[in-house]
Amino acid sequence: MRKILATFINESRLFAKDLAGMALLFLMPLALTVLMALIQDAPFREYQDIRFEILWVDEDGGKMARQLGAELEAIPQFVLIRTLNDQLLTADKAQELVHKGSYKLAVIVPQGVSAEVANSANQVANELGAKLGAPGKLPQRESRKVALEIYFDPVIKQAMKLSLLNALEKQVTRIQAEIILARLENRLDEQAADSSGPGLRLQEKLQAVQLREISSGQNKTTQLTTNSVQHNVPAWALFGLFFIIIPIAGNFIREREDGSLMRIKMIPGSYFTILLGKLGFYIVLGMLQFFIMLAAGALLMPLLGLDSLQIGNAIGSLFLTVLVVAATATAYGVLIGSVFQTPNQALPFGAISIVILSAIGGIWVPVEILPAGLQQLAKLSPLHWALDAINELFLRSGSILTVWKQLIILLVFALLFFLIAGITESRRRR
Amino acid sequence: MLQIQQLEKTYKNAAEPSLQGLSLQFSDKSIAGLLGPNGAGKTTTISILCGLVKADAGKAFLLGMDVEKEREAIKRRIGVVPQSIALYPTLTAMENLQYIGRLYGLGSTILKERINQYLQLFGLEKSAHKAIRYYSGGMKRRANIIASLLHEPELLILDEPTAGVDVQSRNMILQFLASYNKLGHGIIYTSHLLEEAQQLCDEIAIIDHGRLVVQGKPLVLMQKQQAQSLEQVFLQLTGSSLRD
Repeated sequence: MRKILATFINESRLFAKDLAGMALLFLMPLALTVLMALIQDAPFREYQDIRFEILWVDEDGGKMARQLGAELEAIPQFVLIRTLNDQLLTADKAQELVHKGSYKLAVIVPQGVSAEVANSANQVANELGAKLGAPGKLPQRESRKVALEIYFDPVIKQAMKLSLLNALEKQVTRIQAEIILARLENRLDEQAADSSGPGLRLQEKLQAVQLREISSGQNKTTQLTTNSVQHNVPAWALFGLFFIIIPIAGNFIREREDGSLMRIKMIPGSYFTILLGKLGFYIVLGMLQFFIMLAAGALLMPLLGLDSLQIGNAIGSLFLTVLVVAATATAYGVLIGSVFQTPNQALPFGAISIVILSAIGGIWVPVEILPAGLQQLAKLSPLHWALDAINELFLRSGSILTVWKQLIILLVFALLFFLIAGITESRRRR
Repeated sequence: MLQIQQLEKTYKNAAEPSLQGLSLQFSDKSIAGLLGPNGAGKTTTISILCGLVKADAGKAFLLGMDVEKEREAIKRRIGVVPQSIALYPTLTAMENLQYIGRLYGLGSTILKERINQYLQLFGLEKSAHKAIRYYSGGMKRRANIIASLLHEPELLILDEPTAGVDVQSRNMILQFLASYNKLGHGIIYTSHLLEEAQQLCDEIAIIDHGRLVVQGKPLVLMQKQQAQSLEQVFLQLTGSSLRD
């Protein structure tokens, strides 16, 4: 125990002497985390609270067009632009502006749309009314083909395009259904004109089932959806934590080169106790770095206009998870320091391997949107399991009972790294 | 103090073996010099004695103990001064020595006493709180030796302890080794400086190409070879061709 403590103190002294290195180890991941959260804030908001400007050209002027416009304007994400420079928009102008990329979307409601919807509603009401024995008939004619014209900016993302089309289609269908139901209700009400009871109120009855979003977590008080801070802070904090392999690998190689390792190995007792002291220091350092990033996520991000990081309620589980992640990162550093002969070999490999492991592990973009093959490959990255465990704790109100599998996998990675490092060192002796 | 029997070692991917059946022995509590040109196998021999490298064949005994089987017991009784400055350059001499002393399990009081004693003895007491990287070559060598003395080993093994130091530092180191030996401690050291070995050593072994060339007391060897100095003996036996 004394050796472990002495080594821990010695490593702390070595680290404290390198003020620039110490600053970089904390400040660079912090800068990266803040920057990535800021950069990715807009794409995350695109699906949440960004307001979308729609060029709205109403050539119809009828009830259907007015109602559709009003319904779309009631959706917080949409802003309808009907005039530009105090002039009513024309279809040609709207098309030109979208083509130039000035606006993402234009909707043209051609003349006759409202009339066609009314005609279609009358046809349905007449047919149903006739079958139900209602007297009289609403005016109707042959149907004509009409369509809303929609122009998209070619650079708009497919997911966004589908989402906008769905929103429009939903509104059009709803309004058409409302008009049809209103006509039908009138026809049936006329048939029962002598009745003093309340009307049929068909529309109210057809709204029996509505949608209500609630948290899937066990703690129903936490209403948390992912956002830039919630994705980027844990992800890049893990990335920064794994970069601890650089000082670890550098120290191991330097000790081997300058003879310190030889001196240490000549000291009675197992080298493993000294190694434990070293590992202990780097694990604590990695954890400290990670929690500083989380603190920045919770306290600094709101000052920059971003959301505050929510870390869930399982603090004990979070501590244990970060401990295991830091141990895995440290083990990887020992592996790199053992396998490579010189800092020139180890440091570029170490740094680039972390970038690769983070890319396939879901640090840059969520694994769910990667191709199927890469999703399988992600399982080979310890960063994937680390991020998965953290997300489980933060977003799904998880605890040690729900992240134990990820932690076991991370420990297997750590043991594998130590094993390879041990075999390499043992071979070096031969 | 040291017995080596038919030691063989070839490093992986090496063109030639480093040791080819090396056999030699040094008497107890003597100052013994392991001499040889570059690439003779001196550092490999010391690495095997310290258990850092495994011999392919042969046996080696230090203080009567098998270096392969009784490594832990040997570690407690020997001190090794590596050729390189095996200290943390950003830490002070005091911090380096405190760490190494604690790893040897020395208590705070005795460790403090020994550090102060040796820093004074080696003329480093005023620089105790200066980072090693700011030391001169001679100061680094002296601090490097102190780090191997804190547990007061029975046998001190030094690999080129005076390489690259000024005359004053070398003189001090040699004086210390002589006085340490007089206290009953054995010393094995390697050096290129044959005049130094001639002055200091009770016995020497000259090795070349991983084999023993000659072994004995310096004066006896000089008489045998009818040479004026150990350097002449060395050149006669190992040739004057350049070694890399």
